[in-house]
Amino acid sequence: MVSLARTIRSIRRVGLKEWWHQMQYIGDAKSGTFKGKDQFGNRYFENMNPEEEIPGRHRWVDFAQHDYNATQVPPEWHAWLSHIRKDAPQEDAVVQRFTPPWKAPYIENLTGTRGAYKPYNTTAPKINAWEPKVAPRV
Amino acid sequence: MSLAILRSTFSAAGRRAVLQPQVGAKALACRTIHTTQPAKEEIPTTSTTSATTPITQIAKLGSNQLSLETPQNKAEYVLSTMDKIANWARQGSMWPMTFGLACCAVEMMHMAAARYDQDRLGVVFRASPRQSDIMIVAGTLTNKMAPALRTVYDQMPEPRWVISMGSCANGGGYYHYSYSVVRGCDRVVPVDIYVPGCPPTAEALLYGMLQLQRKMRRNRKATLWYRK
Repeated sequence: MVSLARTIRSIRRVGLKEWWHQMQYIGDAKSGTFKGKDQFGNRYFENMNPEEEIPGRHRWVDFAQHDYNATQVPPEWHAWLSHIRKDAPQEDAVVQRFTPPWKAPYIENLTGTRGAYKPYNTTAPKINAWEPKVAPRV
Repeated sequence: MSLAILRSTFSAAGRRAVLQPQVGAKALACRTIHTTQPAKEEIPTTSTTSATTPITQIAKLGSNQLSLETPQNKAEYVLSTMDKIANWARQGSMWPMTFGLACCAVEMMHMAAARYDQDRLGVVFRASPRQSDIMIVAGTLTNKMAPALRTVYDQMPEPRWVISMGSCANGGGYYHYSYSVVRGCDRVVPVDIYVPGCPPTAEALLYGMLQLQRKMRRNRKATLWYRK
């Protein structure tokens, strides 16, 4: 639960600067163990102590970008965040085994930018406008 | 380093101009229109996963949006800040007009319920079009309903946005070939966000709302007015 004691405890653990950053981006003073960093520079934390973090809020991400959104979490870390996998990707043997070296890098959602996916069609159109052709008079 | 490169290219161009023989009028006709070497602009990579230059930044390079977002003088600095305040206010209190037409409406209700809890984002359903700024078209839009949809849209005050939810609203979906269904609600109203799915999950719709917030955040109306 959010309480003054918890806030002060978190500030003492993470420091004033980090606390200010958390208040701007997470909106809560949190402290826990650092579990890893992904390709985008997002940091992942965990605090399994139910006295300090409510179960359900015990895993969280601290986004690196100012303009953050949920698609900046790569699938492996998403699996960890939402408890599909117990261990963080770098510790999880199964995730490691099923991450082949030829796997393409994960890319966040580009909707609304110029990088957005635009579907296109290369087949001939089935419906055409009528273009009248006058037959030559005999 | 860049200066050195610049200097070397300039000197190379100068040398080339000196070494070139004087051409007559005949040769002039087939000369290229460029008197200087075209600048070899560094083409940025189109895809990246790096933390320092995110892909969204690369997608923005050289766009009108980036130009709008970078103030060029003090007036623009003030105006774009005011734009940001307006955007912040708008995105913090999105009041959707509920236009539940079919099964999608159930998922829309789930978004309002405890698990996804739209209230925490300031999204509150409003039954009156005159007090709402977003319309969520949730479900199959039939020909019979289309005039009513347009009327409700017209009753909403500016600025207004439309979220098309589900395959049926996006493009007719399952009923695309039906005689009585509008093939996409964008034939009747301008749509901002299309949420795919049949029906989309409440999570997908909420993500659509977040994307709409992102779209609202890009708005620079006052700066645009000033530049015009």
